[in-house]
Amino acid sequence: MPMASEFELLGRVTIGQYLPTGSLVHSLDPRAKLLVVLLLIIVVIVSNSLIGLSLLLLAVLAGLAVARIPLRFALAGLRPMLPFLILLALLQVFAIPQYSIGATVIWHRGILTITDRSLLAGILLIARFSIMALGLSLFSFSTTTTELTHGIEHLVRPLQTLRLPAHEFALVVNIAIRFLPILAEETERLMKAQASRGADFGRGRRNFVQRTRLLLPLLVPLFLVSLRRADQLIEAMEARCYLGGKGRTHLIRLQERLPDYVVVAGALGLATGAIYLSRVNADRLLWSWLSSHL
Amino acid sequence: MSRTTRKIVIAGVMGAISIFLGASHLGFIPWLAGAALTIMHVPVIIGAVLEGPWVGLAIGFIFGAFSLLQGAIAPTGPADVWFTNPLVSILPRLLIGPVAWLVYKALKRANEIVALAVAGVAGSLTNTILVLGALGLFRFLPWALIGTIAVTNGLPEAVVAAIITVAVVAAWKRIETGRKGSTV
Repeated sequence: MPMASEFELLGRVTIGQYLPTGSLVHSLDPRAKLLVVLLLIIVVIVSNSLIGLSLLLLAVLAGLAVARIPLRFALAGLRPMLPFLILLALLQVFAIPQYSIGATVIWHRGILTITDRSLLAGILLIARFSIMALGLSLFSFSTTTTELTHGIEHLVRPLQTLRLPAHEFALVVNIAIRFLPILAEETERLMKAQASRGADFGRGRRNFVQRTRLLLPLLVPLFLVSLRRADQLIEAMEARCYLGGKGRTHLIRLQERLPDYVVVAGALGLATGAIYLSRVNADRLLWSWLSSHL
Repeated sequence: MSRTTRKIVIAGVMGAISIFLGASHLGFIPWLAGAALTIMHVPVIIGAVLEGPWVGLAIGFIFGAFSLLQGAIAPTGPADVWFTNPLVSILPRLLIGPVAWLVYKALKRANEIVALAVAGVAGSLTNTILVLGALGLFRFLPWALIGTIAVTNGLPEAVVAAIITVAVVAAWKRIETGRKGSTV
């Protein structure tokens, strides 16, 4: 990786990185992929079943394999987090008193106690995070920002009939995404301007007041420049007679095909399964079956 | 309806600043024991004060959705992991804008500068209290620790948010603050 300069601001961002491998996953309709990601987020949070979460993990890994995204790419964001994750899991296991009420004690020594519920909470934390991280990297590696903005715009369009400002909201998200490179450029300019006046943006250790005082001459102009840019954009839109979402048509039309339906149906099935497993307490059933047969 | 176009664009641009502050790490100020203060919620407050509660809501959503993505794809610290839950990352952030706007609207007539400062503090505290409250409800952290974080992180964040909100909005609306200086 090339050394990022002091003024280079978006060098470390992994979000929005696209890996063109031309796979089946890449060619799916962005709407289908958005739906699947939303389902994944919901299920990962709702389901408490380790079996269900393992199924989801397998599905995400299969997706990465089909998309031909090397696992080390997908794991890049995960690896530096491992020590923190383990620490957090340990915190869940040992330090949250709520988990020891009405739970079975598995292990006890001194002030340290592990109960079945606290142990499960620790494992679930790691499982949830890994699935979400891998799933979202699969999405961002296989979807360009253009596809993403078109996907959002088309996906929210049915909400228009409920008189919700769906088109407007999609446009807000699009503007936000499109503005990022402009902001990076403007900030670089501002930082260089301040540096030429003697400001030092090196990453040395400074206290809170010093850091804040250094940030203010950067942030306030950044906001003002952005507001000025916003004014220009408003004028440009009005000059082109922008009138909001009503009756607007699109240059690019998304066309759903069979694989899109198959993927969404599959995701729905998996999601229902994972939530059902959690509702019927499948983990406990499996555990008691295993302990009675082994 | 030029007001609608203005609202859409301001919401988009402020949302972009919030994402940018997070992605470039400019929005984090190192603080005690590695816990960073954040100013990513300041664009939400400024957008709400300038263009009303709905704009604040939209920027809050973008801020929340980005912190969810960042927590899952490119986490920068241990706390980011909790934000993969949208009830922690998105829901509390939706309310920052509306609260800041209500406070600003209520106090605007008395003194605009004071109104801006209090709106900054109120928006920032909404973020602190609701996010930490959600962390407590989900049992990610014991309540005692949450109280400590609320004081050590929440208060300085509120002060910084108030300073930036006043500086930006006053300069943009050309309100006299009694200070003279360059306007970039």
